[in-house]
Amino acid sequence: MSLSVINNATCTFCGCVCDDIQLHHDEMRIHKANKACVLGTAWFLNHTAEKKYPMALIDGREASLDDAIEMAATLLHEADMPLVYGMSNTTCEAQKECVALADQLGGLLDSHTSL
Amino acid sequence: MYWGGNPAECHPRHFTKYTIMQKSKFLPRGRKDRTMVLVDIRETKSANAADIFLQIKPGKDFELITILRAMIKDEYVADEQINATGLTRETLDDLIRRMKAAKFGCMFFGMGLSMTRGKHMNSAALLMLAAEMNAFTKFVAMPMRGHGNVTGADVIMRWQTGYPFGISFNRGYPRYNPGEFSTVDVLVRGDCDAAFIIGADPGGTMPQPAIDHLKRIPTIVLDPHITHTSALARVHITTAPQGIAAPGTAYRMDELPMPLKPALKSPYPSDEEVVRRINEAIARKPFWLPDGSQPQMLTRQV
Repeated sequence: MSLSVINNATCTFCGCVCDDIQLHHDEMRIHKANKACVLGTAWFLNHTAEKKYPMALIDGREASLDDAIEMAATLLHEADMPLVYGMSNTTCEAQKECVALADQLGGLLDSHTSL
Repeated sequence: MYWGGNPAECHPRHFTKYTIMQKSKFLPRGRKDRTMVLVDIRETKSANAADIFLQIKPGKDFELITILRAMIKDEYVADEQINATGLTRETLDDLIRRMKAAKFGCMFFGMGLSMTRGKHMNSAALLMLAAEMNAFTKFVAMPMRGHGNVTGADVIMRWQTGYPFGISFNRGYPRYNPGEFSTVDVLVRGDCDAAFIIGADPGGTMPQPAIDHLKRIPTIVLDPHITHTSALARVHITTAPQGIAAPGTAYRMDELPMPLKPALKSPYPSDEEVVRRINEAIARKPFWLPDGSQPQMLTRQV
């Protein structure tokens, strides 16, 4: 079976964000990550398109995405001082939504930088 | 100059792609035209790549930077003050001579500087040293960022709020005060009564009192994996991993934005989609401040 190739893919494992990786992949997984370092290779090859985990968990039990989103919104809305934290392993587009979330909630907003 | 970091093992391509190996117009011989200095408390694999390795005593970073700041200006520093850092006057004289002779110096500092005794005071001192070196030659300083898009978080927060991290919106407008609004402090004091965690695993990295507070309050986690934090959370939502199955933008540590080229189609939604839907769900609920007490834009001069 032939693999699809992506040239100049971006690796987001560490802060170097190398943008010259060549990925060889099929629908399920990435088989080869040329030019990537040991850390980047592990990052690309260990993530697959398999459905390994449930869509969502509420109190440790499997739940639908819609229920989990509604529950998250309720818990955050009920709180007096909610905290929005992390944002390292996610895209800038999601980070912008997180800022909007903290703004809308009147809560706290912080990233790994403060650790 | 690398200070308190181990790029050979933590950022394996930093040397070859960005700092010491590349040939350029002004440095045609690449590595041979550059000097690399490593300052650390132990001899890591990065020391093999360095021209000069300065092994200092643990917890003496701030002292050494302060001594360097004095010595570049030919101010008096006593031998015993230098010896307390684990180095000698000859070593420092040689280092300062090389720093001043350089055409362009760059300091990269890692968590060995910014997360040990002195913390942000150490980083501030190194930034001062880099600034003061500009009286002699061009010098800059940059932190070695760990996780993928942590630089993007700084940039996005700066763009949207004016501050890079440690922000509170509890008066309806952003305020910045690390130590008061930074997460470890907030959690250890038990200030927040809900937590939304995305692209991070504080359950595996934070001090125990902070984790204990996350267990006490409703915690919501967005992550491609079931993490330590997911195990103590009320809600976990699985999302597509960025750059592998989710598209978007990530910032390199020198604040250059890079487009992501995802190779796979994930069965899970992206972080962006889930957070946007949570935002929409909250927007349907009543606003947290009563009507009339919401912050207003000043539109007319009084």
